[in-house]
Amino acid sequence: MEINIRGVSRFYYSEGKTIKALDDVNLTIPANQIFTLLGPSGCGKTTLLRCIVGLEMPDAGEISIGGEVVWSKEKNISVPPEKRGLGMVFQTYAIWPHMTVFDNVAYPLQVRGMAKETIRERVAKTLHFVQLDGFEGRPATKLSGGQQQRVALARALVAEPKVILFDEPLSNLDAKLREETRKELRAFLGKLQITAVYVTHDRVEALALSDSIAVMRAGKIIEIGTPKKIYFDADHRFVADFIGRANLVKARVRGEEGGYTMVDCTLGSIACQRRDIAAGSEATLCIRPEFIRIVGGEAAAAKNLVNGRIESLVFVGEANEAEIRVGDMQLLAKIDPDAKLSVGDAVSFTLDPAHCLLVAI
Amino acid sequence: MDQRRSSKLTWLLIAIVGVLTVCPVVMLVLGSFSEGLTAFGDFTTDKYVEAYTNPEFFEVMLNTTIFVLGSSTLSTVLAIFLAYLNTRTDIPFKFLFKIISIIPMMIPHLLFSVSWALLLNPSNGLLNLGLMEVFGLDNAPFNIYSMWGMILIEGLLDLPIAYLIIAPAMASFDVALEESSRVSGANSWRTLFKITLPVLRPAILAAFILGIVRSLASFAVPSVIGMPGRVQVLATHLYEMISTGFATDYGKAAAVGMSVLAASVTLIVVYRALTAESEKYVTVSSRGFRPTVIELGKARMPLFFLVGILSFVLIVLPVAVLMYTSLVPYSMVPSARAFSMMSLKHWHDVLGDPISLLALKNSLFLAVVGATLGVILSVFVAYVIVKVKTRASGILDSLSYLSFSFPGIVIGVGFMWFFVQTPLYATIWALLLGYIATYLPYGIRPMSSAFIQIHGNLEESSLVCGASPMTTMRRIIVPLLVPGIVSGWILMASMFVRELTLSVVLSRPGTEVLAVQILRFSEDGLWGRLSALGIIMILITTSLVVAATLIGNRFKIA
Repeated sequence: MEINIRGVSRFYYSEGKTIKALDDVNLTIPANQIFTLLGPSGCGKTTLLRCIVGLEMPDAGEISIGGEVVWSKEKNISVPPEKRGLGMVFQTYAIWPHMTVFDNVAYPLQVRGMAKETIRERVAKTLHFVQLDGFEGRPATKLSGGQQQRVALARALVAEPKVILFDEPLSNLDAKLREETRKELRAFLGKLQITAVYVTHDRVEALALSDSIAVMRAGKIIEIGTPKKIYFDADHRFVADFIGRANLVKARVRGEEGGYTMVDCTLGSIACQRRDIAAGSEATLCIRPEFIRIVGGEAAAAKNLVNGRIESLVFVGEANEAEIRVGDMQLLAKIDPDAKLSVGDAVSFTLDPAHCLLVAI
Repeated sequence: MDQRRSSKLTWLLIAIVGVLTVCPVVMLVLGSFSEGLTAFGDFTTDKYVEAYTNPEFFEVMLNTTIFVLGSSTLSTVLAIFLAYLNTRTDIPFKFLFKIISIIPMMIPHLLFSVSWALLLNPSNGLLNLGLMEVFGLDNAPFNIYSMWGMILIEGLLDLPIAYLIIAPAMASFDVALEESSRVSGANSWRTLFKITLPVLRPAILAAFILGIVRSLASFAVPSVIGMPGRVQVLATHLYEMISTGFATDYGKAAAVGMSVLAASVTLIVVYRALTAESEKYVTVSSRGFRPTVIELGKARMPLFFLVGILSFVLIVLPVAVLMYTSLVPYSMVPSARAFSMMSLKHWHDVLGDPISLLALKNSLFLAVVGATLGVILSVFVAYVIVKVKTRASGILDSLSYLSFSFPGIVIGVGFMWFFVQTPLYATIWALLLGYIATYLPYGIRPMSSAFIQIHGNLEESSLVCGASPMTTMRRIIVPLLVPGIVSGWILMASMFVRELTLSVVLSRPGTEVLAVQILRFSEDGLWGRLSALGIIMILITTSLVVAATLIGNRFKIA
């Protein structure tokens, strides 16, 4: 089901100040996609999620789910959360500690007054789906973090909602488990015809899981796009910076040349992915560390060739993280871990124009 | 401290605490099988037969059951209501809740009961007189000297302790548990009964059980409210056996006391199991969303009004009534005439009464010396329990917790059997030992939490920095312990100033204490003097509690 959010605002009042948690948000979440709200803490992503699910009331605007208006300030409509028929996985999982796994998962069905036999079947089916067969009788508190997380998922899915919401569901897991669970979650959701709204502040999680990402800042949605679009081709400097590590270089646009937009900056004259920015205006050149390619002296004719000197070198396992000084700039580069380089060496590197991203200041 | 020395210390403390807590119990058991105080050791089961075949006994048991269940239900329900309002809604003036939770420290139960007797007794209760005047009634509309009066007063008195158990549980409750129920399709009511209350069940049950233990041990309410109305419960039944002039029977009292003690100890064991259970209920530690505050809307002011009345009833009314009664010559409804007749006569009487002065002196002595000795013992016991983790220290932990479940009057009977065999009988030292033994857990608790705060690394890093163990003690450990020592001392001292239940058994002519003297005034109907002495007692305990709060704030580690 599609979710439509029109002009939604939410204010908090604390110590005489008004904080805009959501500031006139307009958003359409397409049906049957994994849609992620990404942003730094305090950007309003959780508030937006809670407004969709009905645990919080916006101060203005309208929200509709699958064509049905569930909240509207003007029309004075407010459907309580229990009548919205959604599923949600909480950050703390919110597994009820006084119930068994079965009771936890059966709860949404019991509330809907289903027959005992149907409930048993559907709980078994859902537990099988999240690979928790045979856990029915366990007390919920006797589970590991990852298992609790899957019980929470089963509970959210058991009533077969058309929309499921996730509020940072992986943030309480340790790093290794988080990665595994992320993959599982992706696989689970891929099998279902379901709209998933996912809130996280973890960019890797967002990139790995989502069909679409909306990046938020200070109560506003800055940019929406596919993970690749957001990572490689962001329109905003904030988005480019937030989604991954980036070297941001001040640049002035010179004009167009051979399908590239040419800019002048500390690194020299650089060919970038084409953008419609007027010649003479200022922009930010964004280069991701992994796209800085060290070359030997022979590739002198290559495009976007820059010379610099290695200032520091840190071995982090899968790569060497180097700081390369070019003029008054210091660039972070991820280079081959077995490259024979040491601090103080002069190096040349190339920048693929396809990965030289120009963003508005 | 090396292992051998700490193990020696542990066994020494086990011996001391063991004598203090086990000895009265053993004496109670032996006493219940003895002929009498002067014929200790002559085995007989007569006392049990006599005590439990007494036709009155059945009625006493029935009354006790109704009384303890009624009052703990009342206090638990009120505590749930207040804790919910405070932690989950936008009710105004939340500081009132904090006041409600610490006030009983300042107003002794005995005086609270007396002030209600002054308000609602059927012959000249102020409120009754007022209502009769206003509505032209011939009879008093309320009679506090009844079972419902006892339940009401005891319920209100136990409310703060129930609140202190339930409120933190509610505050740390992960609201997502409720929210996920709402999202699952359950409405607010279903969520309340299926999720909120069941999750809080251990805390609620713990509050309820502690309420039962406390009302079972309560003597103030049954003696001031119950006895005039001839509603006998176990505590007053026991008291009558040992206080009514020529027919005192400590053997029978011990026999009856055995069942009270057994019930109480059992309940405390259940209580400890429940508190352990509630810790198990902690699932993923929540660093989620701040709890949503429920907007009360139209109900906000009426509900606040209710809380306001409750605080007035709990705090202002008792003190006001006592103050007023201490100034007027006899019970009369406040009026211009009453105010014109006010004088300090009762105050002069009390301050000129040698027994009252002796009681004051004794109580102050017991508070200062008792609390000092109690805290010194507590420091060592807490140190061993928290820092020396051996099997022996586990024994000490259980031993020191044991007296928490002792109903004062029963343990008083046990001590009586003990002290009669010693030269301590009828001296102030008997009271001193009894107080320390009975109230030791209240000293150990703040000390243990102070010790828990001192993480081993703090000591170790001082040693690594080159400080000697003595310097470490002086510069690191003692400064960190000061707040615990101070609050433990003040807690014990304020409890000793108002101690009643143990004292009514152990106090003899020459060793009167404040609470016993107040009880005598109450039995003789000398309300004016009672109120004056009561106000003095409240002043002492209040200034102790205020001092504790101030010192606590000053030492609070940011």
